[in-house]
Amino acid sequence: MTRLFAIAWKELLQLRRDRMTFGMMIGIPVMQLLLFGYAINSDVRHMPTVIYDQDRSAEARDLVRRLVVTGFYDVVAEVRDYDDIELAMRRGSASVALVIPTRFGESLRAGRPARAQLVVDGSDPQTVASATNTAVALAGARALELSALYQSARGQQPMLQPLTVEPTTWYNPELKTAIFVVPGLVGVILTMTMIMFTAMAVVRERERGTLEQLIVSPVGRVEMVIGKIAPYIAIGYVQMSLILLVGRLVFRVPLAGSLPLLYALASAFIAANLALGMVFSTIARTQQQAMQMSFFFLLPNILLSGFIFPFEGMPRPAQWLAQLLPLTHFHRVVRGITLKGASWADVRPEFLQLLVILLVLIAVSAARFRKKLG
Amino acid sequence: MSGEPVIVAEHLSRRFGALWAVRDVSLTVQRGEIFGVLGPNGAGKSTTIRMLCGILDPSGGKGTVVGFDVATQSERIKQSIGYMTQRFSLYEDLSVEENLRFYASIYGLRGRARSERIESTLESSGLRDRRKQLAGTLSGGWKQRVALASSTIHRPPLLFLDEPTAGVDPVSRREFWDQIHRISGEGTTVLVTTHYMDEAERCHRLSFIFRGQLLAIGTPAEIVAQRGLHVLELQLPAADAERGESALRGLPGVEEISHFGSITRLAMRGNGDERAAVQRALSAQNITPSYLELTRANVEDAFVSMVRDDERTRDAERARAQSPGARA
Repeated sequence: MTRLFAIAWKELLQLRRDRMTFGMMIGIPVMQLLLFGYAINSDVRHMPTVIYDQDRSAEARDLVRRLVVTGFYDVVAEVRDYDDIELAMRRGSASVALVIPTRFGESLRAGRPARAQLVVDGSDPQTVASATNTAVALAGARALELSALYQSARGQQPMLQPLTVEPTTWYNPELKTAIFVVPGLVGVILTMTMIMFTAMAVVRERERGTLEQLIVSPVGRVEMVIGKIAPYIAIGYVQMSLILLVGRLVFRVPLAGSLPLLYALASAFIAANLALGMVFSTIARTQQQAMQMSFFFLLPNILLSGFIFPFEGMPRPAQWLAQLLPLTHFHRVVRGITLKGASWADVRPEFLQLLVILLVLIAVSAARFRKKLG
Repeated sequence: MSGEPVIVAEHLSRRFGALWAVRDVSLTVQRGEIFGVLGPNGAGKSTTIRMLCGILDPSGGKGTVVGFDVATQSERIKQSIGYMTQRFSLYEDLSVEENLRFYASIYGLRGRARSERIESTLESSGLRDRRKQLAGTLSGGWKQRVALASSTIHRPPLLFLDEPTAGVDPVSRREFWDQIHRISGEGTTVLVTTHYMDEAERCHRLSFIFRGQLLAIGTPAEIVAQRGLHVLELQLPAADAERGESALRGLPGVEEISHFGSITRLAMRGNGDERAAVQRALSAQNITPSYLELTRANVEDAFVSMVRDDERTRDAERARAQSPGARA
């Protein structure tokens, strides 16, 4: 144990001296979080909107007001015809247009179906989704509200309960992408830092010749591997806490499930990445190679793990490949726990698959990380 | 010297692919010796040391170090040896003291024993004033001191030094060798590789490795004597230098002509009448040397002569292999 602690302590001392690496460990999660979080958020919120109101009724103004207060639509202009809408969209001054036809208010007052049209700039799919979903959800909620009102106004038994529940709380009609992105970022950032820093920490010792010095010492293979990765496990947890905390404070990401469960299950994921970093370190000859390998590995992780593209939408071979990545399984665990409030029983199958991957990686790294040269 | 062998290598060999880095090396090192392994870069010195430390498996032959087999009991060996690599394997981002503490802990020292050992090592290596300095900011000579202190912090009975003085200034090298003799005086056996000939003469015994093979072994005096070299130093008038040298080159038994400033150094193998032979050859050309003295052959002369011998043998073999008669 003395030796194991000696290696872990030395690693921490070196980290403290290496300002660059230390800064990266704290800087990368925060920077990525803000970039991903805000980049996607600003696209969705405050969409420039033009209004084509042919009716000019109180009901029409009421609908506009209701849309504006969601914060998704910023009314930038009133227009007179469809040509104006087309112009505004071509110029990019508007990405959404609301068209309210004549007799809109009259129909509503009479209890007949009234339709408004939402024109959305389709060049940004992200915008389409949030613009239409928000408006449809809002209109639906308002419709229910009105039908109940009208029915009670005519003295009939209301068919529906008075609407006290905000429809926005149902399927996240605000489309806050940050809520999906932030838990995903936990896995992405851990993958990147854990693999890269472990691989580089070992390769650095080889480059500087200190690995040879350790190999001739009586330090055991297990002591060396665990002593080397233990500080990084701690750093992994610090990073994870940081992401969850900033996600909570800045993006209001909910935590539906158990935090201790998440932290416990994350250990297998962190360890899997560290073991993979060890495997990389036995292949890379220089720190630069180690870094390149880490980035090379990161790319399929980001693309295939479900972080950006939905897993169900991927072709079969890509899905098979994705199943081999620890990140794919961790995404399901972390999103399940934070967003859906998944319990241990819910995430157990994913965790077990993660565990199998971990054991394979440990076996491979132990086999490759021999205490011999040549 | 108690005559107790600490290192025994028998026909030790190591192959990397098609290349034999070390071939058929046999040597014995006794307790308390400073044993030098000499050879040019790439001769197989480091490979030999790595096999003896148990971190590189031999392709052939066997070795016993502090009583344990290098191939099967390497972990036992590691407890009893210190090893200082060519590149002063220090953590440059740790201070002198932190480096010492790390290596002390790696060798299982702890608590008060560790602190006391670190203090005494700082004291004996003259590093006390620099204990807080980061190793990376030290000059070459100081780094080397810290590296030596680190690799001996557990007081190993056997110390391997792999080109410990490469790239270090002459004063630091001298001080370093004083340290080696101090450590040896405390009963530690030292095996040191070098390609500096002046360092070779500071060893109790020497071996010479060239192209992976052991060409000679013995005390410096024995190695010099084995070659039977006679060395003459002479000074020729500048105008006759070229003519004189070609006359000398034609003499039988000339191994090497080298220059040290205006002095020409002539190494010859023969039966002792070289001085007269040189004088005869020069006067035949009407050249009178302003200085001509017989001097002591040194280790460098012996090794250069061995390398020349080896090259001649190889050339002869190649010529024989290429001549048409060799096929018959």
